[in-house]
Amino acid sequence: MTWLAIGVVSVVTFGLRAAFIVFADPHRFPHGFRQALKFVPPAVLAAIVALGLGLSEGRIDLTWRNERLVAGLVAIAATLFVRGTLAAIGIGMAALWSLQWLAHRMA
Amino acid sequence: MVPVLLGLIPFGFVAGVVAVASGLTPVQGLALSLFSFSGIAQLVTCQLLAAKAPLAVVVAGAGVVSLRFVMYSAALAPYVAHLDRRWRALIALLMTDQSFVSSVKRYAEPGDSRQAHWHYLGSALTLYVAWQASVIAGIVAGAQVPASWSLDFAVVLTFIALLVPAVRTRADLAAAIVAAAVALVTAGLPYRLALVVASIAGIGVGLAIERLHGRRR
Repeated sequence: MTWLAIGVVSVVTFGLRAAFIVFADPHRFPHGFRQALKFVPPAVLAAIVALGLGLSEGRIDLTWRNERLVAGLVAIAATLFVRGTLAAIGIGMAALWSLQWLAHRMA
Repeated sequence: MVPVLLGLIPFGFVAGVVAVASGLTPVQGLALSLFSFSGIAQLVTCQLLAAKAPLAVVVAGAGVVSLRFVMYSAALAPYVAHLDRRWRALIALLMTDQSFVSSVKRYAEPGDSRQAHWHYLGSALTLYVAWQASVIAGIVAGAQVPASWSLDFAVVLTFIALLVPAVRTRADLAAAIVAAAVALVTAGLPYRLALVVASIAGIGVGLAIERLHGRRR
């Protein structure tokens, strides 16, 4: 099952990348679908981020006690000013570790 | 190129750690990385396999997060139409968010771009090698990284760094907010189906808002 999944996922990711470069002509393509594709990055990434921040130990926790949520919001605010993956990772991890340290001290 | 590589290394490392933590053998984790070469698709596949999701759900999850490649493919196609099929297959195989962004910049420069595929190959191969090396490091380190470091949070932060610049218009913002809200509401669905449902809802709302704006003008 795992090997089969690895194989199919690899074929699908290649097929999507090759869709127009290798197989089809992008000019013969419905306008509506091209418009829909524009919204794929904001929608998919926002869904991934929301689940990554909002879920705490398998449950939705949207309170300030959820350290990942607070650290993630700090990282989002920081990314509005400083672009770049490294900045987001540095600021977000620093925020999470500080919050975890604080929670540990107060417990 | 260097800042891109520096951002890739922790992400690849985490992808390797997550593969082993999800129950894949080191060889399976490496095969997934070598052949799919997409951090997000690798992570989603590992999470769904760990959740014992059926094959169709694993493929749907990895497919939805990879839909952005279709957009990149359509954007690059006119520039590479003069190349033969093998070259185009290679370009597709090595496509990533980073190599797409760097090649689009190169093609936007004035002058002859008929040889620009060599520029693409150079940057894409560098990314491929750096990515696989960091995934291998993650697989090897695997269990030795203590859970208390919360290193998996670095993955969410990588997505935040991609998300913020992807939101440029009001319709983008609406798509992102709706997708996030639907993801949280449907989080209880089995096999992380929330991801698929939320993505479709966000895309739908983005489209609807763009249509409304167009009609008013």
